[in-house]
Amino acid sequence: MRLFLGAVLTAGLTSGTQAAELTASGASGTALSQTLNKENAELKIELKPVDLVDDMAYLRRVSVDLIGRIPSHGEIQEYMAWAPAERRSKIVDKLMADPRFVDRWTTFFADMLRLRSNSPGGAAALAFVHQALQDDMPYDELAKRFISANGKAGAVPEVAYVLGDNADPMALAGATAQVFMGLRISCAQCHDHPFDKWTRQDFYGFAAYFGKTRRYENDFTNTVYTQEVTANSVLWPPQGDAPDAERKPVDPKFLVGLIEASATPDFISRLDGKRQTEAELAEAALAATEKADSIDDLLLDAADKAVKASKGRGKSAFDIVSEAKKDREAIDLDAAMNKASESRMALADLIANPRNRYFARCFVNRVWSDLVGRGFVEPIDDFSEANAPTHPQTLDFLANEFVAGGFQFKPLIKMVVTSEPYQRGQAVGMPELDQEELRAAFLASPARRMLSEVMYDSIITAGHLFEYKHPQGANMKTVTDRVRVAVPREGEELAAVPQDLAAAAGQGAAMKRQMAGQPEMRRPGYNLEAGIELDFDAVLKKAKEEATEAVQVEKMVVKSSEELEAERMLTDTSNRRRFRYVYQTVERTFDDNPMFGSSFRMASPANPEHFIRIFGQTDRTQVGDTRDHAPSMRQALMMLNGKMTHEASRVGPFEPMHKLLAGEKPQIDKAIELAYLEILTRKPQADEVDLAKSIVADSESPLDGMADLRWVLLNSNEFRYLP
Amino acid sequence: MKGCFDYQFTRRSMLGSTAATLMGFSIRDLLAATGRDHKPTAEHVIFFWNGGGMTHLDTWDPKPGRPTQGEFEPIDTSVPGMQIGEIFPEFAKQMHNVALVRSIAGTQGAHERATYQVQTSYSQTPNVIHPGFGSVVVHEKDQLGDLPAYVTISGQAPRASYLGQKCAAYFVGSPGDKDPYLAFPEGINSVRGNKRLETLARFNSRFATKTTSEELDATRTSVDEAVRLMRSPALKAFELDHIPLSQFERYGDTPFGRGCLVAKQLVETGVRFVQINRGGFDTHSNNFEAMRNHGEIMDPALGSLIADLADSGMLEKTLVVMLSEFGRTPKINKDAGRDHYPAVFSCFMAGGGIKGGQVIGSSDEDGFQPKDRPVRIPDLHATLCHALGIDPDKEVMTPLQRPMKLVDNGSPVLELFG
Repeated sequence: MRLFLGAVLTAGLTSGTQAAELTASGASGTALSQTLNKENAELKIELKPVDLVDDMAYLRRVSVDLIGRIPSHGEIQEYMAWAPAERRSKIVDKLMADPRFVDRWTTFFADMLRLRSNSPGGAAALAFVHQALQDDMPYDELAKRFISANGKAGAVPEVAYVLGDNADPMALAGATAQVFMGLRISCAQCHDHPFDKWTRQDFYGFAAYFGKTRRYENDFTNTVYTQEVTANSVLWPPQGDAPDAERKPVDPKFLVGLIEASATPDFISRLDGKRQTEAELAEAALAATEKADSIDDLLLDAADKAVKASKGRGKSAFDIVSEAKKDREAIDLDAAMNKASESRMALADLIANPRNRYFARCFVNRVWSDLVGRGFVEPIDDFSEANAPTHPQTLDFLANEFVAGGFQFKPLIKMVVTSEPYQRGQAVGMPELDQEELRAAFLASPARRMLSEVMYDSIITAGHLFEYKHPQGANMKTVTDRVRVAVPREGEELAAVPQDLAAAAGQGAAMKRQMAGQPEMRRPGYNLEAGIELDFDAVLKKAKEEATEAVQVEKMVVKSSEELEAERMLTDTSNRRRFRYVYQTVERTFDDNPMFGSSFRMASPANPEHFIRIFGQTDRTQVGDTRDHAPSMRQALMMLNGKMTHEASRVGPFEPMHKLLAGEKPQIDKAIELAYLEILTRKPQADEVDLAKSIVADSESPLDGMADLRWVLLNSNEFRYLP
Repeated sequence: MKGCFDYQFTRRSMLGSTAATLMGFSIRDLLAATGRDHKPTAEHVIFFWNGGGMTHLDTWDPKPGRPTQGEFEPIDTSVPGMQIGEIFPEFAKQMHNVALVRSIAGTQGAHERATYQVQTSYSQTPNVIHPGFGSVVVHEKDQLGDLPAYVTISGQAPRASYLGQKCAAYFVGSPGDKDPYLAFPEGINSVRGNKRLETLARFNSRFATKTTSEELDATRTSVDEAVRLMRSPALKAFELDHIPLSQFERYGDTPFGRGCLVAKQLVETGVRFVQINRGGFDTHSNNFEAMRNHGEIMDPALGSLIADLADSGMLEKTLVVMLSEFGRTPKINKDAGRDHYPAVFSCFMAGGGIKGGQVIGSSDEDGFQPKDRPVRIPDLHATLCHALGIDPDKEVMTPLQRPMKLVDNGSPVLELFG
């Protein structure tokens, strides 16, 4: 697929059909900006737009939005060395090619689709989205796969979407309409919608698409999977409204009308043309790699199958993948398990259809809101007659370009971040009403706080904590711990005390990142900033292996964590007969050399008390749950006293700052400028230099003073709110 | 800012301000008639959460002489005629302070759904997350003193959801250990730390002119609150350094015992709701060995906690309650275990207006079904509301503008209050 779609993407970007190719730093003249300006004129907005932000502020914005962290000093220097006219377009291309782009936007999809790494198949689904973004999988195909997948959790990564709601038709109906089309129909499950047009019958008709899907859990193989059955579980009238015998299966019925087949708007013919070119490119690719079909080929992953099976011209990538899957299933020992859901395939074709206006509109509105800070429709997943978009023409322009471009994600992002509205400064120093009018017209940017993951990674970036900045052994620490130690009861052998019992209840051990040297051992319960890394490649590899395995009865029984805990305590009990526990105070010495990994690669959602969650990551269970960016006391405590801020502030010998301060003649001015650049992506103003100097001077050493300054900058509002 | 008090616009407050009567009765009278408007009997709650589903038959509802009895014998308590399982000898001495409910009729037999229902009173639905009871309490009751009003020890509390993150629990990972987030980082003394805070305030007020967000004010408030907490003498309530060794031993010198000691100090310092989490009750095998172990750890702590709260007078205004997802099967399986059983199970409540030394309801002779006075999960929540003077039918708005009652249609078990 990389080959196939990679070629397509290149073709898309160079075809000249992209409306918003950036020509100069100003970005004026792009079709998107023009559409918005025209629409604002029609809306009789007379306020003068706020100027675009300067180059440094733009660098900070796009870095945060595209790769999920602030720029490093080196990146600032590189960017500023480019000719001013080409800086903005060049940096966008560079950042979109950065591996972190995929990391950061996987989080966007994970929030939207409510993917949870600890739910059945959830880690595989996260890895799948990550890979799909890397491969430039079109959004319509991605959506279709999630809506229609069937099979074993993990082995078929996309099935996590259906399993996430336990394959419950009612839950899936509400979620699917809202997530993919911005239609809120959930209220109509129990009663006709009070403020919208949806009736209970509409809801049941939509739920019927999911009515033949069942979730199964096999205790003996430790697997969870979905499967299609013949009986539709969605019955009308609803339970309780009629005797059960009178309730009949509901025929699936779609919620909204599609654009008539007789009409072919420009964006659809452009899409058709593009897909035609794709098929031809794929055929060319196939000719170059023609191989004989064999059983081995059938076992290749769906991506390779897509290339191979694309001989039949005019098939969408989705059809091809479906065929490839059917091939694979044909040789599966338990083919029924992976049998595609016909009704959900039909539904997927209706939802992710270029003629379904809600599909593209809802998605581009999400992306726009994420980047610009405010949707054309707010809340972003509430498209209803009572909640009209503020700028319907601009919304449709974006949606149509997205469809015409083959539902490609990167060009959509590029169009937005190179448009004027994205680059506007904030409205300050004017009446509140004018400010709000400007923001509503996208003539000023709202204040936007970094996502929690971005904040986390930005602190690490600014503080040089992605790598060791202190030499080994420079941070030796001794702590005293109160640990539980097993000692033999009378008549028992001392040697019989199991080693692992000698350790304290170390449930925090699993949270540890393995670092070189002795890892720091914090007390269990307070490791709220480190994270469990999720290795996407390993997860996908395992998924592929499982997909080709026959379903076999393993000797493993599924145990709940509660049961495992009960068993652990039981071991305790039996040991208790031979040993008793005493508490001892022990001293431990270890090298507390700080290093952190990217939060975008952590298992997600993080534990509820973790930094990432405290700053707004949701638990991804509730449909439509958005990130709460309101400040809280817990956030303040984490930033003021947390290990990460503290270690980021401390100057390490391996970072450039150290050289400026450690010598005989410290270069205070330069060091202050570097601190501002590294943390706030700007140079300090004259009065700020004076203040910073007094902070540095008012300290035991320039290094301590710099740590104080950096701590203040990291804790400042300017750090967490985008310029 | 999305805070605790943003969603308090409810139908009832509308009624209260506009129409003060309903069919000739004043609203207040109607409420009083249903027992919902009265002087609170409890100011604080200590909520024990036993993860996994604790057996009711081997603890609060023994079945001596029946095939479902299991390995334990019932023991006498401080209340004649009231017996509990043998693994709680110390707690048995406090039974005059404790009421047992033996007829909880649950409906959920899977951990996740049962946990959700017992902790929120609502059945799990995909469209809305309901707040846990602790969040409901701190939504309705003012914070007293500097400490967070809601604290969870050794595990997670349910989400605050639409009540806002101000109603979320403050997390204490390891009771008695120093919380690193409540003091300046290691190596930063208070002079230097305070200087940093002063400089930060200067920087932020300077920045306030460059941006427009209302949240900046809220950020300042949150920093102020954090600093107030860091400087508060009340933080001592999280610490156990001053506790004499003899006291540790009375509580059993275990993490659970330390959790109880911290909980006691927290409610004494004004914390409204303390949740103490403990797992390991999912005893599908070797139920009796496991429960004996649980007893050894829990009994001294529970007995000492109730005794100490009673001695200090705190028990009068502190409601102590222990709940679990469900009970366990009366039938003992081939692995000497008991499986999930929601149809009937038990809990205890003490203090905060609860009349001790009584048993509410009963299960049938083998513990399969409620025999009399079945109590539904929402009734338990309504009972706690009753003690705290909270109207369980008060409605709050979810972000989707759906009015939601604090409790899912429960009626308080008024007999508990004597």
